[in-house]
Amino acid sequence: MNVLEVLEKDLIKVPLESSEKYAVIKELVEVAAHAKGYDKNAMLEAILARERLGSTGIGNGIAIPHAKSDVVTTVTMVIGISKLPIDFESIDNQKAKIFFLVIAPSKEASAHVELLASIARSCSSGIFRRMLEQAKDADEVIQLFME
Amino acid sequence: MSVPFKQIVAYIDGSESSMTALMYAIKLAKEHNAQATAVYVVNTKALSDLLKSGIFVAVERDEYQKDLFEDADRYLRHATRLAEEKGVEIETVKLEGSVHAVVKELVKRIEADLLILGGVSDIRSRRDELASETDRMMRTAPCPVLVVREDDDIWDEFER
Repeated sequence: MNVLEVLEKDLIKVPLESSEKYAVIKELVEVAAHAKGYDKNAMLEAILARERLGSTGIGNGIAIPHAKSDVVTTVTMVIGISKLPIDFESIDNQKAKIFFLVIAPSKEASAHVELLASIARSCSSGIFRRMLEQAKDADEVIQLFME
Repeated sequence: MSVPFKQIVAYIDGSESSMTALMYAIKLAKEHNAQATAVYVVNTKALSDLLKSGIFVAVERDEYQKDLFEDADRYLRHATRLAEEKGVEIETVKLEGSVHAVVKELVKRIEADLLILGGVSDIRSRRDELASETDRMMRTAPCPVLVVREDDDIWDEFER
């Protein structure tokens, strides 16, 4: 599984409105809940439980909050871009602007791992990250991944 | 390469399309009286990469690895059941590492003359093409490769 297989316009929010780590996570979870009808609180609980093990701010301005939870029926990814840099307690102490929230059912471990690896590969390019940060809306985000 | 095929390998990853490929492999093995092999690869390379990049913490990597090994056993048991239904002997192989690299090694080692894959999606972007393990397997396999498109007819025919 890769990013393109789960990329959906309804699951992209540009720009994010929140300006603090946990508010950003909540905002991303709300996007998934609204688009897919999943239980918001159960998703939030799973994501926060993972976040307690260590920040998912992986550096270079990117954070990938994620969790395994059977509250979702398929692998789900929400992309959020913030115009303001957010302190996500990232490993390089750099603030984050690009967020991928990934939540997957327990039976989809393989697809979950592949998707996370695909996100990491996609964002390994500095130019691509800068273009994502500058995306004005969901259509532009989709276009960047399709190129 | 031998025709008819003597040693057919089907790569399965739990996806519906890979199970379609497996069914096709079983049917083909029966028709050619060939040895069938189903292989599942626990992508420990991806798990290590996720740990190195800080996406996973160690305890999480261990948990996912355990899940993936359990998935491997489950899907390979399913492959055995499907083959038995058709009276075909199938060898099941569980490997770990970088998917395309270990599948290539297996194909060489057992001198397979056909690798059957499902799940080759339309290339929608250059990034997509570069990232797909199935595409890499298709490009690097040292034997002919047959790509099975997702098709209900294959499931229907298999169940007949």
